[in-house]
Amino acid sequence: MIYLDNAATTAPSPQAFACAAQEYREWYFNPSARYGGGFAVQKKLDGARKNLLAYIADPAAFELIFTSCGTEADNQAVFSSARRGNAVTTAGEHAAVERSFTELKNRGVEPRFAPLLSDGRADIEALLSLVDDKTSLVSVVHVNNETGAINDIADIARRVKKKNPRTVVHSDGVQAFGKLAFRLPKEVDLYSVSAHKIGGLKGTGALLKRKSLALAPFLHGGGQEGGLRSGTENVPGILAFAYAAAEKFPHIAENYEHAARLNARMWDMLSKSGRFMRISPADGSPYILSVSVAGARGEVLQRMLFDRGVCVGTGSACSSKNRFSRVIAACGYGEDVLDGVLRVSFSPENTVEEAEHAAAEMISVAEEFKGKF
Amino acid sequence: MEKVVIIRYAEIHLKGKNRGYFEHVFSMNLEKSLKGIRHELHRTSGRWLVAGFPEALAEEVAARIGKVFGVHSYSIGYLVDSDLGAVYDCVKLVAPEEGSFKVVTHRGYKKYPLTSMEISAEIGGRLLSDRPQLRVDVHEPEHTVYIDIRDGGSALVFGSFGEGAGGMPVGTSGKGLLMISGGIDSPVAGYMMAKRGLIVELLHFHSYPYTNEGAKEKVAELAKILSAYTQVRLLRTVSVTHIQEEIHAKCKAEFNVTLLRRFMFRIAERIAERAGAGCLVTGESLGQVASQTLEGLTSSNAVVKLPVLRPLVGFDKDEIILRAKKIGTYDTSVLPYEDCCTVFLPEFPATRPKLAAVEAEEAKLDVEALIEESLATVERITF
Repeated sequence: MIYLDNAATTAPSPQAFACAAQEYREWYFNPSARYGGGFAVQKKLDGARKNLLAYIADPAAFELIFTSCGTEADNQAVFSSARRGNAVTTAGEHAAVERSFTELKNRGVEPRFAPLLSDGRADIEALLSLVDDKTSLVSVVHVNNETGAINDIADIARRVKKKNPRTVVHSDGVQAFGKLAFRLPKEVDLYSVSAHKIGGLKGTGALLKRKSLALAPFLHGGGQEGGLRSGTENVPGILAFAYAAAEKFPHIAENYEHAARLNARMWDMLSKSGRFMRISPADGSPYILSVSVAGARGEVLQRMLFDRGVCVGTGSACSSKNRFSRVIAACGYGEDVLDGVLRVSFSPENTVEEAEHAAAEMISVAEEFKGKF
Repeated sequence: MEKVVIIRYAEIHLKGKNRGYFEHVFSMNLEKSLKGIRHELHRTSGRWLVAGFPEALAEEVAARIGKVFGVHSYSIGYLVDSDLGAVYDCVKLVAPEEGSFKVVTHRGYKKYPLTSMEISAEIGGRLLSDRPQLRVDVHEPEHTVYIDIRDGGSALVFGSFGEGAGGMPVGTSGKGLLMISGGIDSPVAGYMMAKRGLIVELLHFHSYPYTNEGAKEKVAELAKILSAYTQVRLLRTVSVTHIQEEIHAKCKAEFNVTLLRRFMFRIAERIAERAGAGCLVTGESLGQVASQTLEGLTSSNAVVKLPVLRPLVGFDKDEIILRAKKIGTYDTSVLPYEDCCTVFLPEFPATRPKLAAVEAEEAKLDVEALIEESLATVERITF
């Protein structure tokens, strides 16, 4: 199996998995317990927190709250920060932010959606024009999970703050963390990340927060995570997250280059076949290559590929309901293109041979499909 | 005193000299429905009794019995010695604590020292003195306690009736093959024909990779729900992928669905013949969708000799939905899996396909070869 659906989830790093397994077996103490075992686990937890935070942020200015997933982190960010008035986001958000913004309407906050440019990035001018003195929150995805388009969130945050210094700025960094070399600027208040997109385990995410920002708890209870996220900590998942991150961050530049090579090689082959149109921008994250076989059905191609041992994602469905990707539609493509979207997403473990083999199979199923329709 | 389930049957008494056969099939079906639960099934005058099961499973036994076609009604009750003291002990278990009630006694054993009226009066009197919150109302009681004095010194005591599934015992009307899609209608059609005594086997058409495994699993789930009524634990699936592709490639788009339906009917007939089924069953309802117009049905019927039973043909969608909910298939049927990829859906399907035009389009295809190819993909899912 050639696995190229790493933006959906990655195979867990064997070492990170082993680390979690050992924690489950031997270090099962509750970190809140006031005896030796509990203290030891608490210490590990704090170490993991410190390391994860330090990879992308200044520990003097930011802190990190563990959550159960990226979606929870996004939800907590949105519902903590959006108060009265309005909240601004883009048409290119992950559902965790998009659906939360839609829900804001029921809570008396007006959600505002800025359009995308055709390359998948947020239209910053349009976004800024939606920000006013009643804007409590701006949320912009760092790397779009469907196209790989990168938003310059540092620039966006600075300009938002200039217009309204009281506005909280959040970014969903799930597809950027461990992949792009990046430091969190002080203008970004909240940033969501997830473990299972970088070789960690499902069930662990985190919300980075500027220390001086007041955040409302999402789950109430035992007061864990400084009272901001009650519930016994998922220690094995958190330590595996730290382990996976420790494997990725020292190699972030070379991994990036490697992903860029895989991406370029695949696109070279796909584009020469004449069947594929590129959705991903050339300057997007190299970890994501979104393409379309116009007139085909991404979901059908995806199943044909799976049967040939190649696993990719899709932004379209065969069903008449939810047929098209909301995000790619927002880039301005027509139905024909939207129907045939495939998303290839890499991990550092993928090889050039795998990319070439997968590209050949993609071309083959596209030819087969187009031969019939 | 023993907990029992009392079963009364529906139309079997109409069956004159064939009654023995119908009763035999019925008792076999009752046995099948109770598979996995220790029990004894007794035939008594005009009814069946399930006994010998663990008391805690009484509700489960009753629920399963309630789904067997041919059951008119059922009651959970007690089998007890017919002396009045023992009967009254059981009555206390089924009688309410308060409200209005009456006692109805049926005395099959005519040599019993008291008449049925006397038994009712005596038992009612004891209840009244033991439970002061109760009062008698012989016209519109909130609760009724039934006592049935039987030959051989035993009595049945029960307090309520559950409504049975009605109909005829499955297997007394031959066998049919249901074309099941995963939608709301076809499971209801299968239920209705099983209710008339038909053994309903199932055939599902898929077009993987244009449809996904989820759709197949959904149909398997529907088949499982239906099997509680039909006792058929087999689902056949067959691929029509290549047929759809060929139709799409060679024929006018507006006839896509009409032509595919004709292939499905032909394939179903071949499989029915192999399975020993004497008819096809579909969930079609006149005019519901483009392929279910009179012309559409005519075009499908034209390619098969077996009768096609369409029990829903005169039903509104609302009526079908109500039945699906009652049977328990609705929630599964509405799960979002498509049975046809949008790539095959024509913008304007022909709603009144003329048979001659359909046949002319079909002549562009190697019908026999496509059917043979499709038949080679039959899979059997048992559960």
